[in-house]
Amino acid sequence: MKKRAWFPRAVAGGATLALGLTLTACGGDGASAGGDSGTIHVLVYGDSANKVEKAIVAEFNKTSKVKAVLDTVPGADYQQKLQTVINTKQAPDVFFNWGGGSIQPFVKAGLLLPLDDFIKKDPGLKDNFLSSVFNTAVVDGKSYGVPMRGTQPVLMFNNKKVLADAGVQPPQTWDELIAAVKKLKAKGVTPIALGGGDQWPTLMWFEYLYDRVAGPELFTKALGGDKSAWESEDSKKALSMLKELIDAGAFGTNFDSVKFTDGGSPQLLASGKAGFELMGSWEYSTQQDASPDFAKNDLGYTNFPTVAGGKGDAANVVGNTNNFYSVLKKTEHPEAVAEFLKLMYSDDFVKQQLAIGNLPTTTNTTKFLDTADNPDYLKYQFDLVDKAPSFQLSWDQAYPPSGITPIHQAVQQFFNGQVDADGFIKAMQALPTS
Amino acid sequence: MVSLTATVTGKRQTQRPAGRSIGRPGLAWALPATIFFALFAVVPLVLVAVLSFTTWSGLGSPEYAGFDTWARVFQDPVMIKSLWLSVLLTVLGVVVQTPLSILLGVWAAGPQRNRAVLSAIFFVPLLLSATAVSVLWRALLDPNFGVPSQARWLFGDGNLFGTQTAAIGVLVFVSTWQFTPFHALIYQGATRAIPQVLYQAAQIDGAGTVRQFFHITLPQLRNSIITSMILMIVGGLTTFDTVLILTQGGPGTDTTISAYYMYDKAFKGFDFGAGAAVALMLVVVATVISLVVVRVSGYDKMAGTKEGL
Repeated sequence: MKKRAWFPRAVAGGATLALGLTLTACGGDGASAGGDSGTIHVLVYGDSANKVEKAIVAEFNKTSKVKAVLDTVPGADYQQKLQTVINTKQAPDVFFNWGGGSIQPFVKAGLLLPLDDFIKKDPGLKDNFLSSVFNTAVVDGKSYGVPMRGTQPVLMFNNKKVLADAGVQPPQTWDELIAAVKKLKAKGVTPIALGGGDQWPTLMWFEYLYDRVAGPELFTKALGGDKSAWESEDSKKALSMLKELIDAGAFGTNFDSVKFTDGGSPQLLASGKAGFELMGSWEYSTQQDASPDFAKNDLGYTNFPTVAGGKGDAANVVGNTNNFYSVLKKTEHPEAVAEFLKLMYSDDFVKQQLAIGNLPTTTNTTKFLDTADNPDYLKYQFDLVDKAPSFQLSWDQAYPPSGITPIHQAVQQFFNGQVDADGFIKAMQALPTS
Repeated sequence: MVSLTATVTGKRQTQRPAGRSIGRPGLAWALPATIFFALFAVVPLVLVAVLSFTTWSGLGSPEYAGFDTWARVFQDPVMIKSLWLSVLLTVLGVVVQTPLSILLGVWAAGPQRNRAVLSAIFFVPLLLSATAVSVLWRALLDPNFGVPSQARWLFGDGNLFGTQTAAIGVLVFVSTWQFTPFHALIYQGATRAIPQVLYQAAQIDGAGTVRQFFHITLPQLRNSIITSMILMIVGGLTTFDTVLILTQGGPGTDTTISAYYMYDKAFKGFDFGAGAAVALMLVVVATVISLVVVRVSGYDKMAGTKEGL
């Protein structure tokens, strides 16, 4: 009995050990992925827009000897996965990113290939894109990314019906906005819907007001490491104007319990419980999904109001400039990659992006706008972005990733009164800079 | 049942010589568990300890930073606050859930006719993942379209995620809603195991239901209460998903508990050194609390409750 029992014990033990070893070995396998001869790996954020990327890769593979392979990482974990994989053997050759702070750590670590040589050979890689967008992926004077999806400027959306009922015109200036807020409040609606629970919708108010009051230079300076920019008179003025808006009851009292991401704040606007919402251009498609009738009939949109005496150009916009493809230095097929990137300004690419509701930022986009479902809205946006002297990338994407949470906390705390202007300035000065 | 087992053993004994085969199982039986524990608990813990003395952004190799990371963590007001919040949430969880689950468990152990159906319904939250539960409650508690909009007298303006008190209240409520059934299950089993003779004797002496509860049921449940409380403490200190989905540590940093702060530092800010240090602090605090609970409650001795029966 005792002797025989050793056999199953040994088997069980051995099997466990083997299992453990295979588990630990998983990280080592599949290392050949990036190094295969004759393939380039393209890593993108996995979502419904992937069908265009798939089609582009298929088109590229028709003519190219070096084959492209599309790898997708689903959902919100993209940045985390990228960070862990980018300095390993499994790293892709080309990857999706948001430009700005999202690639800055990689540039610093010397992992990315400056695209200036590609651009020298084919100037179209730069000239065929709107410059305000292309510049988002320029770090330390070198280009590191080619725009590859759609632009998403932040617009001031409104409910036309609610505004008409209260006798309010979409505000052109800040003073008109304050007046509109008071009128809407008197009517018993929340003047402005705000998904404060998500924190980033709150941030949009800071981005626009700082731009209008101080111009884009203040933020550029601050991001570059000049922390005194946050203490400047302009910075304090922007904060006091925001405070005035909050104190006027513009956002109601429970905005921190409302989210955009669960459909809360768009529903406020669509159901007529709120008059305005400051949101990225995706508000339109969100409303089309959730409240199609409202999107068709009553959803209005304007640029952010101007501020009297402000230094910023009234045509400036903020938001997500675009997504970008960046290239790793260690790629074995730079020529093939350059060919692949050229597809990002092809007519085919533009048509396919428009078909899924993205607004590409190539100069040939205008040719195809009439073919889209909602040409007016797209033309409005394209004009806005095209004519904008400055397109400020969202602050939480302009800063390196370690700044995201502190920024979000600071804007939330300023809006709910937990910190005052000085507290906010201190929080922003504590951010890590390049 | 008892007699059946006896006959089976009896049969065996006739076939094989009794004695040696009933001895303690060999060490080899502990091998699988030991290996898994070492691979997935001890090794990572040691690696985390090492990582806490470095700075690492996930790119390249970690750089040795000595005690810099720790100095940074200890000077970080959010870190200290997060430990207090973790402890506060845990204590509130224990204080709210324990009485509820004892009452429910004792009730569910009774012979009522509707009991089986009602307790089956009541155990449903236990089957749902914490993520699903959090998403569900986030929607139900929406200030404009959820319950608060229909019950202004109770919720005011419904700003449940906008103030610290309310946000902590929601977190405690949601975890109570989710985990009370589990602890009730523990108490139900334990209550069923209380010998009926005790109640019969008490009835003869004229004790009512309330007296029976306080003088027989509660003392007999002592060991189960300790077990359940330790589970609550461990669960409370490691709460993460409800915070991630319901409050994201907000408003500001008012519900940033340590487990969430660790995630935030390591996986959102890519400061793995600081994240590891926060994680290690949480391990230390959790260990100290568990030790205190074990010592104070006498869990390590676990005297039987059936003496004299």
